[in-house]
Amino acid sequence: MRHFLTVSNYVLFYYYLVSNLIYVLLLVTAIARNAIHQRRLASIRIDHIKDSPFTPPITVLVPAHDEEATIVEAVESLLSLQYPELELVVINDGSGDRTLEELTNRFALRRANLLYIPEVRSASIRGIYVSGNEPRLVVLDKKSGGSKADAINAGLNAASSPYVCVVDADSILEPDALLRIMVSVLAEPKRVVAVGGIVRVLNGSVVEGGRLTQTRLPRRPIEVLQVIEYLRAFLIGREAWGHFNMLPIISGAFGVFRRDLVQRVGGFRASAIGEDLDLVIRLHRYLREQEADYQISFVPDPACWTEVPSDLRSLARQRARWQKGLLDVLWPNRDMLFSRKYGRMGSIALPYQWIFELCAPVFELVGYITMITAAALGVLSRDFFLQFLVFGYAFATMISIGSVLQEEITYRRYNDWRDVVRLVSFCFLEHFPYRQLQMIWRLQGLWEYMRGDVTWKPLKRVGFHEHAPSNSAAVSEPPVAAK
Amino acid sequence: MGFIFNWIPSAGLARLLFEAILAALTGIVSLLTFILGRRTYRSFHFRILNARTFALRQSWDSLVSGKIPPATWRFNRLDRRIVESILLDSIETAEPAALPPLIECLRSTGLLDMRIYEARTLHGWQRRNAMVSLGRTRAPEAIPALAEGLDDSDAQTRLAAVRGLGRFALPDAAMALLTRIAEGTLNVPEKPLQNALLSCCREQPSLLVPCLRRAEGPTREVLARVLGELATPELEDDLLLLAVDPLPEVRASAARALARADAQFAFPILSALTADPEWFVRLRAVVAIDTLNHPRSIPALVRALCDVNRQVRQRAATALSRLEPHLEEILERVLATRDGYALQAMISALERSGGLTNLVEALRSPRNPRKAAAILLRALRSASQRLYSRATNASAEDEEQAGEETFAHRDEDTEVVSP
Repeated sequence: MRHFLTVSNYVLFYYYLVSNLIYVLLLVTAIARNAIHQRRLASIRIDHIKDSPFTPPITVLVPAHDEEATIVEAVESLLSLQYPELELVVINDGSGDRTLEELTNRFALRRANLLYIPEVRSASIRGIYVSGNEPRLVVLDKKSGGSKADAINAGLNAASSPYVCVVDADSILEPDALLRIMVSVLAEPKRVVAVGGIVRVLNGSVVEGGRLTQTRLPRRPIEVLQVIEYLRAFLIGREAWGHFNMLPIISGAFGVFRRDLVQRVGGFRASAIGEDLDLVIRLHRYLREQEADYQISFVPDPACWTEVPSDLRSLARQRARWQKGLLDVLWPNRDMLFSRKYGRMGSIALPYQWIFELCAPVFELVGYITMITAAALGVLSRDFFLQFLVFGYAFATMISIGSVLQEEITYRRYNDWRDVVRLVSFCFLEHFPYRQLQMIWRLQGLWEYMRGDVTWKPLKRVGFHEHAPSNSAAVSEPPVAAK
Repeated sequence: MGFIFNWIPSAGLARLLFEAILAALTGIVSLLTFILGRRTYRSFHFRILNARTFALRQSWDSLVSGKIPPATWRFNRLDRRIVESILLDSIETAEPAALPPLIECLRSTGLLDMRIYEARTLHGWQRRNAMVSLGRTRAPEAIPALAEGLDDSDAQTRLAAVRGLGRFALPDAAMALLTRIAEGTLNVPEKPLQNALLSCCREQPSLLVPCLRRAEGPTREVLARVLGELATPELEDDLLLLAVDPLPEVRASAARALARADAQFAFPILSALTADPEWFVRLRAVVAIDTLNHPRSIPALVRALCDVNRQVRQRAATALSRLEPHLEEILERVLATRDGYALQAMISALERSGGLTNLVEALRSPRNPRKAAAILLRALRSASQRLYSRATNASAEDEEQAGEETFAHRDEDTEVVSP
């Protein structure tokens, strides 16, 4: 027993040490990269991209399933995006509510016998609609394929632009988000095959006419904690992984892809739980196998605002689903691990995902049990144990504050002093008990997946209007598959 | 293994851990202090900035005209920044007639010379900032300083120089770029270069021609794309040569340019380009023909409607649907092709444009029952052929799949070309 405790403590100590060192490396890389990005932006006029005839067209794909509360505003908001050649394809994915009727009433939709070629497989199409007052809008009405991926695949077949941008119907893009996300594509169009933008928390902010008019921090602690998580995941994690061309995921809420490549890899996997993660990993696999010189980038300034869960039940479901999604993608791609063919993806990024993302809750649980037991039995010095806990807490808090710093020195969306004070305060509260709850939800996700439970459990949603500062009941669908 | 954890304190790891805690706490305090300090500094800074901006704007006309001597504000760094920023913003939005006094103000106050000096002597992002500001000045004497940046070893500096020159929108700036392109010494990404050339050659597209004649490979494609956007009828002879260029990108650019040429001159060339081996050249030709919007294009467009590439078919259908007065003739021609894909694309385009209703109404008219009957008869023949081919398939599902595969097969050439 004592022997086992000693070994496990030894392993956990070094696991935690390595994990923190990686975080420090990611933080430093992200700060440096962000500074460079800011300097570069200073010499670019976004308006010039808008006015340039060389800017490639984009099709925005909006899968919508029971989105009657937000769909009209979302579409209006997307149609008002600044971009020279924009096509908007809304996919009504077997909605049981009035999603299609709402669109028909607002945009004078009429059924059209348009040519639709199912190059990528999806559930069958019931009808294609065009708008009488908005020529850029096409609405596909399809049978539910049971997944967002299936809806996006249908949209891919209808898209006519060389680039597609996948956006959630319950999300809001900033007016210049498409122009900004295309900056890296336009700099190296032959190399950059996909780009992700930052996803930010909408809860608490004010939305008017499908546009974000005032950015405020949400009121509920659970939402504020997610703001910190999102800042850390995007402004540190994605930024740094993107810099090394090892970005494992582009958020399903906002990402641009080269359409021909997505079609070549067979589109989104309809059965995937985390379809966004799955697609990016398959793109890496395909391009590495082709020995292509490519880049999958992250750009931190084009922002997409999305609802996040505001009650524990929805959050638990979301996090369990993300964890299931991670396992669901990593397991089929296990052959990429440590394979020379897949370069740094196989030797660094995927092992990191396995060890420090997928197995993290398992290590954490085992750590809590064995270290407490070891301390109680005297195998481990109690002082050392306490010191280790304090170090873990202080270090993790520092990383969280680092993400707030990143936000401060770059984009400063939270201008109000009170918001910043609250944000920083919550960095101290994030690691107890929120972190432990996360561990339980993620373990639950793993357990459900191994039991074969991969059903999608719907989450409550309130629509954009509720996100005024007085908001207290917003609950949503997951915007990203995994951290 | 127990020795490891007994060994840790004795080896000084407990001390190390203690130091790590201290480091983490110091890190937290430093980060918080930085955030707090930065916020406080910025709030003070912006308060002062706003106050000074307001004060300078109050006496703006006197500043520009020189009634207030530059010496009174030029040596104050903040004032200098504010005046420069307002001047550059004004230059960007000013009408051509209002530009000279603003540029003259830049010259007389020494702001322009200062930026030229910075662009020549500084390094890194400071040099790049100076170049971007110089580009916004539109003062021709700044062009040589930016041109020097094109030869820099740093890619970002070269890029800033290209963007800066692009903002001049002057033929002199274009010449700085074109000279280096001709020498083969300019190494910058395509898109910013295209945008810069587009802006600088807008007044004189003919500047591109000599360079284009000599250029090869990707450079030739870049120049052709720019010319495709800017070409005027005076460059028709050059476009004729580009239309038979061995590089497909160049042929596509020629097709794009021909959309603005004289229709009599352009039609035969564009018609030939609709039969080009590359799908995107054919697509460009169809788009150009659509822009010309002339009934003479109907035969070429109907041929493009039977193209193996879906995008070409769709675009040809859209172009045909816009020739509304000739829809009956077009429909007859499309039926005569007996191509189901073409018919489908045509009907889709008509539905989308709302032209189908008008067409049906026209055919319903008692004035042309014979024509309507003839068209319907052809449609029935076409449909019966498809029915026959469907009947030969084993099951409905197989038939659907086969249909999909045929479509996919027909579109195979779309897939291999990157955008």
